[in-house]
Amino acid sequence: MADPLIYARAIHFAATMLVAGVVLFAVFIAAPAWRGNAGSGAVAIKVRARLAVLAWIGLALAAIAGVAWLVLTAAGMSGLPTAQVFGGGVLWTVLSQTTFGRAWLVRFVLACALAATLPALLSPRIHKTPWLEAAAAVLAAAFAGALAWSGHAAGGLGNEAVVHPAADVLHLIAAAAWVGALLPLIVLFAAAGRDDASLAMARTATTRFSILGIVSVGTLLVTGIVNTFYLAGSVPALLHTEYGRLLLIKIALFLAMVAIAAVNRFRLTPQLLQHASIAASRDALRKLRRNAAVEILAGAIIIAIVGALGTMPPAIHAAHQHPTYEAVPADAAFVHIHLVEGMADVTIRPGRTGRARATIRLWDEDFGPLEARQVSLTLIAPEAPGNPTPHPARQGRDGAWQVDGIELSQPGNWTVSVDAVLDTNKHLTLTAPIVIEP
Amino acid sequence: MRKFLTLIALLFIALAPVAAQAHAFLDHASPLVGSTVPAAPHEVVLTFTQNLEPAFSTAQVTDSSGARVDQGKAAVSGNTMTVGLKALGPGSYKVHWHALSVDTHTTEGAFTFTVGGH
Repeated sequence: MADPLIYARAIHFAATMLVAGVVLFAVFIAAPAWRGNAGSGAVAIKVRARLAVLAWIGLALAAIAGVAWLVLTAAGMSGLPTAQVFGGGVLWTVLSQTTFGRAWLVRFVLACALAATLPALLSPRIHKTPWLEAAAAVLAAAFAGALAWSGHAAGGLGNEAVVHPAADVLHLIAAAAWVGALLPLIVLFAAAGRDDASLAMARTATTRFSILGIVSVGTLLVTGIVNTFYLAGSVPALLHTEYGRLLLIKIALFLAMVAIAAVNRFRLTPQLLQHASIAASRDALRKLRRNAAVEILAGAIIIAIVGALGTMPPAIHAAHQHPTYEAVPADAAFVHIHLVEGMADVTIRPGRTGRARATIRLWDEDFGPLEARQVSLTLIAPEAPGNPTPHPARQGRDGAWQVDGIELSQPGNWTVSVDAVLDTNKHLTLTAPIVIEP
Repeated sequence: MRKFLTLIALLFIALAPVAAQAHAFLDHASPLVGSTVPAAPHEVVLTFTQNLEPAFSTAQVTDSSGARVDQGKAAVSGNTMTVGLKALGPGSYKVHWHALSVDTHTTEGAFTFTVGGH
């Protein structure tokens, strides 16, 4: 976990979520609560000033970590040491000629435009500027969503090239709108609750936030399933790869956040909205703040995981990494035959002289199942090459090919040869030695 | 001892794909990986499982003595990489490719093909 790229990615993601979250919070949650006189109250002015500080901190961190991410990625792409990336036009080549670099440039421009909206959007005096709010919201969403082209979502072909980035864009925007808006929500709660006016502001904000939260959680769930399908693809891939396991931790943390959000929505929000007494409302506010803090902690861990996941090979590439090794019985002879066109695992059981059964599993070069129309197995004895006859194999229900009743006349180094006619009409022959015990 | 060696061998087999894997895999090549072709090809075409970044994706073809027989920079379009070849005589040739996927991750690999004699 010492890879600096992970830190750069995690800090940049967190900062992006924060700045986009503050802007989306200001536009969709706080602005409606500031309509009328509430917006000019001392509490609203204080909240806006604090939101502005959060937004600028987010932008600054996003910029610093973004530059670090670019430099580290350029080093990785070019194979040069990090210090040499600055010379020889490598950075410019990355920025101008790669998907990652172009996305970086676009997001840099978006960040600058977003920065330009901040002074007016979060000024102490409230302005009636619906176009500015709309522009800021679009820029914030784009700044977060365009992160999709900085990683795995950019790699697909065919349908995946459209669906995967689209799902990832929505995932990132929903995450920013929810997780990024939690800190602003705490800021607002912390300032509110001392008088009726600010309590009304907190109530309006809470109502809006719970709508935003439901929309975000729904979006995260659906797009998260799409992303998981493309990057993990199967349950074994989730369970048996480092990528898959980290992703499962991320999903578990997300579900914990949803559980806390459900408590907020169905217990504390009604308590805040329905109780006339200031004491009960303030109690609800205090609990909402505490829960939001716990959610932020879970969100921060999720973002750290995202930082690492992007640097790792997705589980789908390693899906069938351990095809049968765990399942090789102790009394069996086993060989893995590997060519780029395809590979075969041959298990002969029992792996000693006498009658035995052979099982053949075929894989393509990515360890996906390789479909064949016809498979035969030839066994050549150590000292009697002769002219052995191929045994036709039949396919079992689990997709493996079986040959029953093969005679192993002697111990030693046999040669096993698998001949397969693939569904693509290609002919594949895989040959390897296999040891038969006495 | 034999069991131990078998275990080591199995471990190597199990780990080999981990070391080789990353993001853009070689899907297929022309000439086919490991194949023997009767006539000398004019180019090697490599097709990958993801789109590549042209700026950082390369392929080199060498003969059995290690001399370069490709015509320099490989052309990348989408998920295919094409490198022109000099006139090849019969013999074995090695293609070494280095691919940068648009998802920012690099992969590399090598394979041989043989041009048959007459």
